[in-house]
Amino acid sequence: MAKVIVITSGKGGVGKTTSTAALGAGLALRGKKTVVIDFDVGLRNLDMVMGCERRVVFDFINVIQGDAKLKQALIVDRRLDNLSILPTSQTRDKDALTREGVEKVINELRSDFDYILCDSPAGIERGAHLAMYFADEAVVVTNPEVSSVRDSDRVLGLLSSKTRRAEKGEGAVKAHLLLTRYDPLRVAKGEMLKVEDVLEILSIPLLGIVPESPTVLSASNVGTPVVLNQGSNAGAAYADAVSRLMGEQTEMRVLGPERRGLLQRLLWRTA
Amino acid sequence: MNSSPRVEASDNAQRANVAPFQVRGRFFTAIVLQMARAPDTAFFDAIDTMLSQTPHFYANAPFVLDLDQAEDIGPSFDFIGLAREMRNRKVTLIGVQNGTIEQNKAALHAGLITLPSGTDVLPDSRRHNAVPTGDDKSKPVRPTNENKNQGESAPIESRIRSAPSAYSSGTALLVTEPVRSGQQVFAERGDLVVVASVSPGAELIARGNIHVYGALRGRALAGVHGDNAARIFCEALDAELIAIAGLYKLSDAIDPSLRRQRVQVYLDDGTLHVEPLK
Repeated sequence: MAKVIVITSGKGGVGKTTSTAALGAGLALRGKKTVVIDFDVGLRNLDMVMGCERRVVFDFINVIQGDAKLKQALIVDRRLDNLSILPTSQTRDKDALTREGVEKVINELRSDFDYILCDSPAGIERGAHLAMYFADEAVVVTNPEVSSVRDSDRVLGLLSSKTRRAEKGEGAVKAHLLLTRYDPLRVAKGEMLKVEDVLEILSIPLLGIVPESPTVLSASNVGTPVVLNQGSNAGAAYADAVSRLMGEQTEMRVLGPERRGLLQRLLWRTA
Repeated sequence: MNSSPRVEASDNAQRANVAPFQVRGRFFTAIVLQMARAPDTAFFDAIDTMLSQTPHFYANAPFVLDLDQAEDIGPSFDFIGLAREMRNRKVTLIGVQNGTIEQNKAALHAGLITLPSGTDVLPDSRRHNAVPTGDDKSKPVRPTNENKNQGESAPIESRIRSAPSAYSSGTALLVTEPVRSGQQVFAERGDLVVVASVSPGAELIARGNIHVYGALRGRALAGVHGDNAARIFCEALDAELIAIAGLYKLSDAIDPSLRRQRVQVYLDDGTLHVEPLK
């Protein structure tokens, strides 16, 4: 039975799309048939982060409106053949999403995949609501700063009331905390919230701590999910998170930010 | 000679292990007859009609007379005779409620008990220090001239003590999940009990007290219907706003030494007090 997981946060810019790409690729690497769906109608970022923006012909909205078949819109990743991407439309807006349409697409995907990851748009409006509505589990992406924590808390409240599971009384959507852009040095200086502080307020289990890392940005820019970069701390942190998402017990590591020597920094430009 | 006291001792010890009785609380439903006036033949006719319609429903049921409107029942009223008449109809009178001192005295002489009118009491009047005031909607406050009388204090006391049974199931609201930012919980009938943390941006509102067994980081408004005796209790105070009966304090106005402490908040002399719990 497929698991529907929403990657959400409330706040923008915390790393939802990056995390969706990384977790999706990580699950596929572990042999799970995975599809990632972009719910950010009108902005369309996931396909770029996944490096398949030039291969988009039909999209999620076309499928919802019956203009295309689901199979036509799904893009199979070139690196990992159990990873598929369902891109969204850039020309439409979130009103094009309907609950029935989303339900139909998700139900169709359930039979073919092990994991269905829904990349939620920022905010708590229609797009975000529909992204979380059919979820069985949620990954709440949070940065160690107060406004992000507040927004995550708000989203957790919605997950426990505005989802199909909540409405049907089928038990709460299981929420996991993914702490991203974590910088232990800045935490030590008191510029960022500590892991414990965030956990105390949100009181949900921790899925992973992804350190602030330049490899994340460069990975997004070249369209390679960061988890495929085995050498980077961020990639390793996402790989750990994937293990936990699959139900494995893994020791929580707080990986430091990547510091480069002078020579490496000079070489980085050409890399 | 030597052995018999020992046997006796062990016998006593054994008997001591088995208590002669155990005390258990139980709630029973009694039927209240609201008396319009002193019972006359019309009253008994009406009772007979009622009993003949549903004889099984009333058989062996305890009956209580509400004397609130029966002012013509005086100190010399024959409660014994009335109880006998009722027993002849297989109806058992057990007590009276809402009587004046004279009526209560006469009823006591007849072996009836005086009962507090529990169901009419609103949660507001349950506190021991609550002085029934004009805006107190609870029924038990009988005419004010009686309040001056020392003798009246006893029934009022007992009413207040018994009142919780009237609301304990149903009026308090229990929340076991964390209250998240943007969520609002309203206990419109009584107390609000939260057995989790309350996040910043969350709002707790209660007609009665608010209890938080966790960190209180959001807003808490107790006694929103004007109950000055309402209180807020929490395990760790980190609230954005606390208010009782409309009087509020913002986080800036709370003494920093009380931050993250176990505290209670109450109103006294028109000011909001925050005090650590010992």
